[in-house]
Amino acid sequence: MRTARKSFSGSILVWTVLTIAILSILGAEILRVISIKYQSAIQTATWQEALLAAESGIDLAIVELRKSLYPAPNHAWDGWSTVPANGVVSHGLTSIPNAGMAGTPMTVEANVDAPASLINPTNGWQYYRIRTVGTMPITGPARAADNKQDTRLRRLSLRFERFTDGILTAHAITFPETPHVSRRAEVIVSPVSSFSNAIMSVGTIDLTNQNIVIDSYDSHDSNKSTNGLYDPAKQQQNGDIATDGNIIEAGNAHIYGDVATNSGTVTGAANITGAQRTDFYQEPIPVGAPNWGVVNTSVTNVTTTATITASATSGSVNSRYQLSGVSLSGQQTLTIAGNADGSPTYVEIYITGDITLTGSSQIIVQPGVSAKIYFAGNIDISGNGILNSNNQPLDIQLYGIQPATDVSKHVNLGGNGQIIAAVYAPGHDVTVNGGGTSGHVFGSVIGKTVTMTGVTNLHYDEALSGGGLINNYRIISWFEDNR
Amino acid sequence: MIQPRHQQGEGGFLLGEMMISTILFAAISMGLLMGFTALQRNYTATSDFALNHADQMRISDYLALDLRRSLALSAARNDTTIFIPSYYDVTGQPQTPTIDGNGGVYYGIAGSAVSVHYYLSGGTIYRQQNGGTPVALAVNVQDFVFDVTDSGKVVSTRITFNPTFTSGRASADATAATAFYNTTLLRNTRSDNQIGVY
Repeated sequence: MRTARKSFSGSILVWTVLTIAILSILGAEILRVISIKYQSAIQTATWQEALLAAESGIDLAIVELRKSLYPAPNHAWDGWSTVPANGVVSHGLTSIPNAGMAGTPMTVEANVDAPASLINPTNGWQYYRIRTVGTMPITGPARAADNKQDTRLRRLSLRFERFTDGILTAHAITFPETPHVSRRAEVIVSPVSSFSNAIMSVGTIDLTNQNIVIDSYDSHDSNKSTNGLYDPAKQQQNGDIATDGNIIEAGNAHIYGDVATNSGTVTGAANITGAQRTDFYQEPIPVGAPNWGVVNTSVTNVTTTATITASATSGSVNSRYQLSGVSLSGQQTLTIAGNADGSPTYVEIYITGDITLTGSSQIIVQPGVSAKIYFAGNIDISGNGILNSNNQPLDIQLYGIQPATDVSKHVNLGGNGQIIAAVYAPGHDVTVNGGGTSGHVFGSVIGKTVTMTGVTNLHYDEALSGGGLINNYRIISWFEDNR
Repeated sequence: MIQPRHQQGEGGFLLGEMMISTILFAAISMGLLMGFTALQRNYTATSDFALNHADQMRISDYLALDLRRSLALSAARNDTTIFIPSYYDVTGQPQTPTIDGNGGVYYGIAGSAVSVHYYLSGGTIYRQQNGGTPVALAVNVQDFVFDVTDSGKVVSTRITFNPTFTSGRASADATAATAFYNTTLLRNTRSDNQIGVY
């Protein structure tokens, strides 16, 4: 009889199966736990990448805004559905190959609009609102995290869409849609003035070792100026200088502000009160020739004493002149006349040639006149210089039309008179060698290169940062909408 | 005639057989026991690690989210308040921003902000928004520290978690507290917001 032997075999089999089953259950449980955590880690990483996508959308929108500042044709908003305006929403959609998460496509939606509430009442500048949604597909099963707070934070679109076309509309996710995660950011960008620094250059800034003092004041703030004029007792420390190049010869100037280069060096930096940084980059927007169509033709060239009359209406035909050049000598003057009572008047002058003042000649800008002068040639001002009767740098703005790449242009500002003006000529080599007997210059200087000789003080008017041409956009508010 | 069973070779085990089988059984049982114990410890360690890791990622991500959009923060050891814009109205919908006259914008009422309070209590980090119900985000925390640098534009956080791996044979590194670091650029106080060269 073999009954007992069969009974032993069965027992071993049962024990073996039982052991394997227990081990398998334990292994499966460990695998389950690890799998959940792995999935959680994947979802977290995907969530992080979605923010990169959203911020990429912000960058794309700012690039379009910057492009819109360039002279036409600038191809700004090409491929976008609508150019931003008040109440109009523009929309872009881009699918970007992404090497981060197994080559899954990254989707960026960007909306730019210009609400009327975001028009600066002081200068009329439009601020823009950029809203972007970055979306990344989630690999793996559509499984929610095992922690409620993870779910509240990341709000994955596993079975229902959270964001649709930038608008919160829930809908079931059906094939070919896949589970994904979206993150939305909203930023507000404000214009940046071409005169946001005391000195800025594309290349070298040379202060020529003459112990120049560079500081600031704010003609619009009585705590930072007196009667709108510089007051040494109210000196401010925003006399910033910066170069998109890599050399600033500070010449031991007393700089009450920050100094920045583009990965460059600052020599003679012993008297800089602000920060010294090497991470500056700002490509100055070139100025194109004005395209006004009809202009005031009462004056078309100035070679002797002449008068140009400003208009009470900014941008009107009567306020716009096109001259072939200004060349004065001896006692000759060019008067830019305003109203007798000094009420605000405006003039824009486009000079296709050079501006040259010699002897005791002078350009006189009368009280109340706000002048913008665009020049395509060179400027050589000596004699009695430019008289700014308002004593406000914002009232004389000089803009150099961008020369061709291989053409060298210059601006030499000198003379016996005090220089009170804002100069924006990123294609011109700018030399300031005057400032009158006191050597004081009030305003802002932007050039291809900037050299200061014979100047003892440069006082930057902070009010300039709210005027002039728009040169850039910067983010002033950032918010991630994680509803 | 009835044959005795032992005469058919089916009698009881010999002492030697018993000893060998007992030794084998003991060895296999010991092996299984050790295997089960090791699996259990691995499971516990894996689970603890995963739990801690998830907590670390969660608290890090919550902090980064709030810090990125913060207007200001009041940083102290184990107790920090972050102020974020009043982006949502009372119904939870986004509000249209308004220019503040000083080069910035605000949502809702000028000067308003939503406070987000992070604090450590009983080894747990809580997040409390605008005085609402605190929410536990991470457990087993020893302390957390905020370090504000670069003129208030960058915040580095260090969160130290208590050790959870307690095996007697584990190395000192394995049983040491885990410090989790995070560095965040405060988008609303970034340098290019300021007047001047940036």
